[in-house]
Amino acid sequence: MPPRLNLASAFRALSLRTTTPASQQPLLSQKIAAAVPKLVTVPVARRFYSDNLTPENNNNNNDDQAPSSELAPPRSEEEVVSLSQQQHKEDNLYALNRLELVAYGLKPFDAEEEGHKYGLPSLPLPSELHKDHRYDDVMGQITRLLMKDGKLSKAQRDMAMILNHLRTSPPPKLNPARPLIPGAPAPNFLPLDPVTYLRVAIDSVAPLVKIRGFRGLAGGGRNLEVPAPLAARQRRRTAFVWILDAVQKRKSKGSGRKMFPTRVAEEIIAVVEGRSGVWDKRAQVHKLGTATRANLMNNQIKNFL
Amino acid sequence: MSASNCLRCLGRPSVAGASRGVVVPVFAPRTAAPFSTTAVQNALPAKPKSAEHQDRSVRVYRAGRKMTIKKKNTQDRGKPPLPGERKAFRKKIVLSNDNAFPVPWVTEMEASSLSNENKVGSIVSLPPALQDQLRATEAFQPTQTWGLFRKPSTLIRKETVELTGKMEKAVENKQTARIVLAGEKISGKSTMLLQAQSHAYLNNWIVIHFPDAQELTNGSTEYAPIPNTENPTLYMQQNYCLKLLQSIKKANEKILAKLLSVSNHNELPQNITVNQPLLSLINAAKEAEGAWSVFQALWSELNAQGVNRPPILLSMDNLPHIMKMSEYRSASFDKIHSHDLSLVRLFTEALAGNTRFPSGGAVIAATNRNNGPRIPSMELALKQRLAEQIKVVEGEEAPEPPVRDPYFKGYDDRVEKVLKTVEVMEVNKIGKREARSLMEYWAASGLLRTTVDEQVVSEKWTLGGCGVLGEMERAALLTMKI
Repeated sequence: MPPRLNLASAFRALSLRTTTPASQQPLLSQKIAAAVPKLVTVPVARRFYSDNLTPENNNNNNDDQAPSSELAPPRSEEEVVSLSQQQHKEDNLYALNRLELVAYGLKPFDAEEEGHKYGLPSLPLPSELHKDHRYDDVMGQITRLLMKDGKLSKAQRDMAMILNHLRTSPPPKLNPARPLIPGAPAPNFLPLDPVTYLRVAIDSVAPLVKIRGFRGLAGGGRNLEVPAPLAARQRRRTAFVWILDAVQKRKSKGSGRKMFPTRVAEEIIAVVEGRSGVWDKRAQVHKLGTATRANLMNNQIKNFL
Repeated sequence: MSASNCLRCLGRPSVAGASRGVVVPVFAPRTAAPFSTTAVQNALPAKPKSAEHQDRSVRVYRAGRKMTIKKKNTQDRGKPPLPGERKAFRKKIVLSNDNAFPVPWVTEMEASSLSNENKVGSIVSLPPALQDQLRATEAFQPTQTWGLFRKPSTLIRKETVELTGKMEKAVENKQTARIVLAGEKISGKSTMLLQAQSHAYLNNWIVIHFPDAQELTNGSTEYAPIPNTENPTLYMQQNYCLKLLQSIKKANEKILAKLLSVSNHNELPQNITVNQPLLSLINAAKEAEGAWSVFQALWSELNAQGVNRPPILLSMDNLPHIMKMSEYRSASFDKIHSHDLSLVRLFTEALAGNTRFPSGGAVIAATNRNNGPRIPSMELALKQRLAEQIKVVEGEEAPEPPVRDPYFKGYDDRVEKVLKTVEVMEVNKIGKREARSLMEYWAASGLLRTTVDEQVVSEKWTLGGCGVLGEMERAALLTMKI
């Protein structure tokens, strides 16, 4: 990530420019010219910042040379002068105050100190503060798999209900014959962290491979089945689609908006407890993958891969 | 051959269909205008229903026998849920979550907790006996978040103390506080009603609560005219009455066992004499048939003057549903006004201040915004009451209360009459201090997995519509980001 503050912007602000600065421009509007006392002398060798558009008003004491115009403001000249003096004083005081703070070793020009009620977030930003990654990656993916008719908001609400069902249900009783993914937390911690609960369930039943069929390569027009590895996202997708298939077959026990999320959550608990039929599907795919891995040595297949 | 022109009127004959060779059936349906046959003859013949739209099980009639074609592809999913099972799932109320941590600083609610000003912003839990009582009157709602926490607990808000204060003051003066709770969607009106009930139960009041007004008026329970009532004819809802009596009995059992009847009730299914406990009076209602008369007897006993009776809380949720024409019809098929249903009338009379409770009490109703009908008269009346309630600073003029729109016809005098003198309490947004206390409770329960600091409180408070409590819950508890 490129640094936020680069020096280019500082140099740009400091660059010399050939045009006359705002304070010297002869074609200032009448009104501004009238409001601002005219400059008497401008040091020739002075440098101006390129973005300095405000006319200078450091000349205070020459009342006799102030312009008199038809469009002059109602203010008297003394008033204008005293105002500008006051402004000048305040600016100076502020600057002196800052300098004093610098002398004490503080950072008065730090953006975090000034103008922010709760300070600025530390950089780099955590991914959840980015609008496209505000949810956990698994959550974001499977919520879209839950979605029907493009109703993402409803899917998100359903997902929230699934998580609430998971955190109100008792800790799962694990089945030693169906081990969860290594590194999964102890079952009594799962309900307290429903996102991890869901992630563990999905990652545990996610298949490692899929079976690709190559038409006609097995001879006699038959498909030649070849295992192909899946990426993490694809694995999760397959697992959750299986889970949703199992949910479809579950009987609906009630009505209302909580019914569907309840069924999904119950299936997820069944997966973690090893009762779900999704485990069999996974075993079947893996078995087939093992059986067909010899086909990878097929010469024609090698050209494809 | 017939003449091509109609001989009688010299008009052109409309036999366009005949020239096309369409045979008009003898029993062709007639059009609205009997003198013209054009539409009928030009109409295309009705399409036979496509196979998809037809019933799967098609009955084919033949001479003398009937054949039924069975539909295919039916998935057998076992036996369907029993009647009422699906609704039971929808209405299921869970009050505890064993996974959530108990919060050490939450104390149990006492009789004086809800009216103690120093306790504003603190969380108190409902004692088990009170939970049973509130369950009996259906004060908990399935959409609320009771099921997420270890124990059902509630936040004492500024408005809670104000409401209970009004209840207490009314009882001191032996008067009736008549209050309508208004406010935004999910701002906590029903919970406020629950807190009022809790206060009443803990202070030994009698509580009669109508959990959902729409059950009374949406035509879902049986009704019958009450004999000998005319102009207007009143109607009783016996089944609802029985249900209500059972909930009253379950919730107020201890007090009703101590109260004794003061008059004879010979008209009831079971004869009740003087000095019998009111519990046995309620027990007389075994079936829906005599329920209304039992309820009437109970109501007259509770309101018997000159006897020591406890204060009464009469409360109702979803008020707008009883401020309109009901779904019921009279014998002449006119719509029955909700206020002609006897149970509703009992409530509205009390709300209007026409019923005097012997030891005082309160009538509290909560409006609803989500599923409620729009009642212009009620909205107007509530706005008027709010305008009247504004305390005027000396030297300033009081704001003019809103008036009826002269070009609108949908106002209802009866509704406005009922709400003429009620007090309106607005249940609105919570402050950041209350929000913080609530969020600390959530975090301590293990449901909000962040450190609760000023920034997080401010974030959720802002996300929740600047302190709408239900919206804050949605933002923090019903979310994918845990």
